[in-house]
Amino acid sequence: MSLRGKAAIVGVGETPVDRLGGKPGEPRKVTAEYLAWAVRLALEDAGLTKKDFDGQGLAAIYTTNHSQPFWPEEVANILGITPAVSLGGGNGGASAVSLLGQAAAMIDAGVVDLVLVVAAAAPFSEHGRNRAEPADTRDFEMPFGVMGPNCKISFVMSRYMHESGMTTDHFGKIAVTTRYHASLNPDAYLRKPLTLEEYKSARLISDPIRLYDCVLPANGGKAYIMASPERAKTLRKPPVYLLGWGECHNASAGPRFRANPLITGIRESGKAAFEMAGISLSDIDFLALYDDYVPIVMLQIEDLGFCKKNDKEFFERTDFTFKGELPIQTGGGMINCGQPSTTGGMLHVIEAVRQLRGEGGARQVAGAKVGVVTGLGAVNYGKNFGCTAAAILGKQY
Amino acid sequence: MADERREIPKPLPEITPVTQPFWEAAANGKLVMQRCRACRSWVWCPRPACVECGSEKLEWTPVSGRGNVFAFTVIREVVGRALRGFEKDIPYVTAWIDLEEGPRICSNIVGCPIEKVAIGMPVEVVFEEAGPGIFLPKFRPR
Repeated sequence: MSLRGKAAIVGVGETPVDRLGGKPGEPRKVTAEYLAWAVRLALEDAGLTKKDFDGQGLAAIYTTNHSQPFWPEEVANILGITPAVSLGGGNGGASAVSLLGQAAAMIDAGVVDLVLVVAAAAPFSEHGRNRAEPADTRDFEMPFGVMGPNCKISFVMSRYMHESGMTTDHFGKIAVTTRYHASLNPDAYLRKPLTLEEYKSARLISDPIRLYDCVLPANGGKAYIMASPERAKTLRKPPVYLLGWGECHNASAGPRFRANPLITGIRESGKAAFEMAGISLSDIDFLALYDDYVPIVMLQIEDLGFCKKNDKEFFERTDFTFKGELPIQTGGGMINCGQPSTTGGMLHVIEAVRQLRGEGGARQVAGAKVGVVTGLGAVNYGKNFGCTAAAILGKQY
Repeated sequence: MADERREIPKPLPEITPVTQPFWEAAANGKLVMQRCRACRSWVWCPRPACVECGSEKLEWTPVSGRGNVFAFTVIREVVGRALRGFEKDIPYVTAWIDLEEGPRICSNIVGCPIEKVAIGMPVEVVFEEAGPGIFLPKFRPR
């Protein structure tokens, strides 16, 4: 089944992010407020109202800090929508990209012709609710003091440096480039340009991961709306079409008891997305890669096929700025725009839509027609990310 | 907020029917892992059936406890309330160790100055009591 051109993104909305609500006296908003706010912005962007979604599709992404098993139903209830189809995004940071294909499939099947995808999280003002861990993490990582993704991606990065010979200069180049993009994005959270020296002298969190390798946790909400191509043509903004899509879960490069953690499931999900789109790497104008850590951005560039594995020289010679030959993270990415838990993955979809509409302002990739968006979630024991998804979005199909 | 700063114990594994043989062996100073009698694959972490071929004929099998550091990190900050019990240990080393038999296990490197830990370093298992009757397999240089 191909979803090429079968659905389009017709509206996006994102609230500003903040890191407030955890201390007495700080302004405090709860998840429901960010959620409703993001939905209002997406509806305004599309020129739709919430009444248009009665009898249509609603997808809500589960967050790690505030989750309950009926979250999509609670979201419908918060918004006052009676959907005909309710989807739950259970793939963590990969959910936003997963749902692009899942929503498109519902639209292509004729079940609905609109799907509202929404995510919000307020880890600072609603921290630590109902947190549950996978059994492997609970029994075989936490008792050893494994500090979540910081620690697990540090394993990956330490091995990556060992095998590739890359140094803080290579990782720093990515961090400096994405911060430069953030400095051109009025919606970014960290906007002060970062120097390579600042990157290299920042404090170690979990060797070799330093402060500016890490994503910035935040409160916030984000939403996007998908529509059938017919419906999309009647709406306010130029449609951004889904051209290709793929996902791959619980990837294991090698035996499951000892996988190669330097190969992500993006190798498979990206391949599926390119095959569906029927395009090649040289057609791509920009990448919007899931970026909770700097080394993960680089592994995905490799796994998508833009260079070979451990290709140190490629990372040295390539200009990754919005004016360069392979623009990445054109809005600054989650590392600079904030990660409201699993909502963070929505950022890349929204930035890709902005670029493809020509709304990128000072960071606009000239003539951008096609871009890649990825999502990642759940770092599995002894491996890399479990949930992976990739999509190719374009102005035309 | 004073309650928030109260000492929080380190998390212990939850012993389940699937993992019980592992922890029983650990309490007796032995490292065991599941191996599939049908396809001979190692299975780690513990599972109800083989993750390669699906067979339920898994056998708890002793392993040497010898291996090499595949990757490691030095933990320098606590993230999250549940792990605050590790604050007093900082800095400490967590690592992925590739055992001679094949499986990769996540643990700590102990009995070694942090700056001496390196990828490829030969290590061997040593059991440390973490709670009543619960012994965690850790690794020291060999």
